[in-house]
Amino acid sequence: MLAEPSQWQQFVDGFELFRDPLLCALLAGGVLGFLSVYVVLRRMVFVSAAVAQSAGLGVALAFYMGIHLGFEVEPVIGATALALLATLLLMMDPTRLRLTRESLLGLAYALSGGAAVLVGDRIAQESHDIQGILFGTAVLVTPEQLRTVAIASILVMVIHLWWYRGITFASFDRIGALVQGLPVRLLDGVLMVSIGVMVGVCARALGALPVFAFSTLSAIAALMLDLRLPWTFFVATLAGIVSGVGGYMFAYFFDFPVGGSQTVVAAMLVGLAMGARALIQLVQRAR
Amino acid sequence: MKTDEPVGPDAANHSVPPTFTFGEPLLTCTELVIGYNDNAMLPPINMVIRRGQFVAVVGRNGSGKSTWFKTLLGMIDPVSGTITRGHPEMRSAYVPQTSGIDSLLPLRARELTAWGRLRNWSFLWPFARKADRDAVEVALETAGAKAIANRPYRELSEGQKQRTLLARLIATEADMVLLDEPTAAMDAVAERETMQRLCVLARQRGLGVVVVCHDLEVAAEHADVLLFVDRETSAFVVGDARTVFCHPAFRRQYGDEYCHRAPEGPHRGSDAR
Repeated sequence: MLAEPSQWQQFVDGFELFRDPLLCALLAGGVLGFLSVYVVLRRMVFVSAAVAQSAGLGVALAFYMGIHLGFEVEPVIGATALALLATLLLMMDPTRLRLTRESLLGLAYALSGGAAVLVGDRIAQESHDIQGILFGTAVLVTPEQLRTVAIASILVMVIHLWWYRGITFASFDRIGALVQGLPVRLLDGVLMVSIGVMVGVCARALGALPVFAFSTLSAIAALMLDLRLPWTFFVATLAGIVSGVGGYMFAYFFDFPVGGSQTVVAAMLVGLAMGARALIQLVQRAR
Repeated sequence: MKTDEPVGPDAANHSVPPTFTFGEPLLTCTELVIGYNDNAMLPPINMVIRRGQFVAVVGRNGSGKSTWFKTLLGMIDPVSGTITRGHPEMRSAYVPQTSGIDSLLPLRARELTAWGRLRNWSFLWPFARKADRDAVEVALETAGAKAIANRPYRELSEGQKQRTLLARLIATEADMVLLDEPTAAMDAVAERETMQRLCVLARQRGLGVVVVCHDLEVAAEHADVLLFVDRETSAFVVGDARTVFCHPAFRRQYGDEYCHRAPEGPHRGSDAR
């Protein structure tokens, strides 16, 4: 009688099946991890949540248009368009409407969440996809989704590494950058569009929940270590990659949902970083 | 180059050496009306800020100080009138409050100083050039911040933070610098030291320095020109400590005490028109 191959052996044998989702998790985790430093330091954590939620509505609307209006729209286009729209709306100055930024965020989050449920109700045959985008189903990633995530990731990383000095200055000392003649609006726009696009394409491929986790928890873990700013970006990128890839492996080996696993791994990294920081402080005090 | 008359001794302001002369005009406000949505906040402003001149802006909260400041910085458009720069390549720099840099930001003093080297589109070059790195080191040295260059900004004392921000200011090689309540979180000693450093910078480097300040005595002690802004009475008063402190609009807000204590002395330093 032949012994059943170990789970690891099964994973290695079937790697071709897992390659695309793993690559997708690596790219999404890495780039969203990098961007998370801006999201957290600029106090935009809920921007990320609202944009991810809007991406969910975008997918639902794309399905709805295909089923009920006979107008085929790629779900990833719907997700990206709505994510960008939400990003641009959230970039507006809320004081003109006599609102606070939080009010606008609450409105965007609740409206897109509620609308996604309503639209989802009318496209019952695709409800699995809606659930997937809201809570994550990165078990299988189509080659198109991987290609889209890869192109967006490369573009975003090239521009962010190239313009790193300008975007960080404009992000963390806006008035100073403005007075020194930097094109602050452009730099701000590049950052916000990067977040919108990455959240949109990644939410379609992986789900809104892990996307939210990558784009917030990665930076929180990195910031715990109190490193220099460039190293903070590097560690946040690494944390995003570990959350994406590690979460996928965890889900495979322990038979859990992928999106939830990636989110929990990202949260565990924050816990690890907290422990590391406590240890460093202890050593410093002992000296 | 047009210069003011040599400055005479003035008990109200001992920061200006007797022989110091202010330099060329850096910024000229002509019939400048500030406000929002075409609503004027103050009467038209006419004044000149020159090289080497230290201007302190005083007034109560909501008086229009910040609006004037933001208009000078180009963050909001004037309702009418003009702001003319001394020359087209004139460089300005802004120094935020020490508390204006987010305490979460994991920045070292050296990194913060290096931001001072960025201007216009220079960020397109992804790495700092050697000349910039050298300028940062010189700025840290000059501001007395070399020893704290690798320490996280958030862990510095208020005085050390201010030295770091001054290093950044030096690194910008600006002609004119605008500071928004630079001493807001400081104790009296650190506040006085900071103002003295700013005076020295203004003199030695020929900077035009404009400071929003709430401590009237410190402002009077160090500034060449005081500028009192009051939206309530539509006042914009420019002059030395006595001129400003004894103005009816000022006395209405702050009482007579400052006027009585203001020293006699010749009006100097300002080009209010």
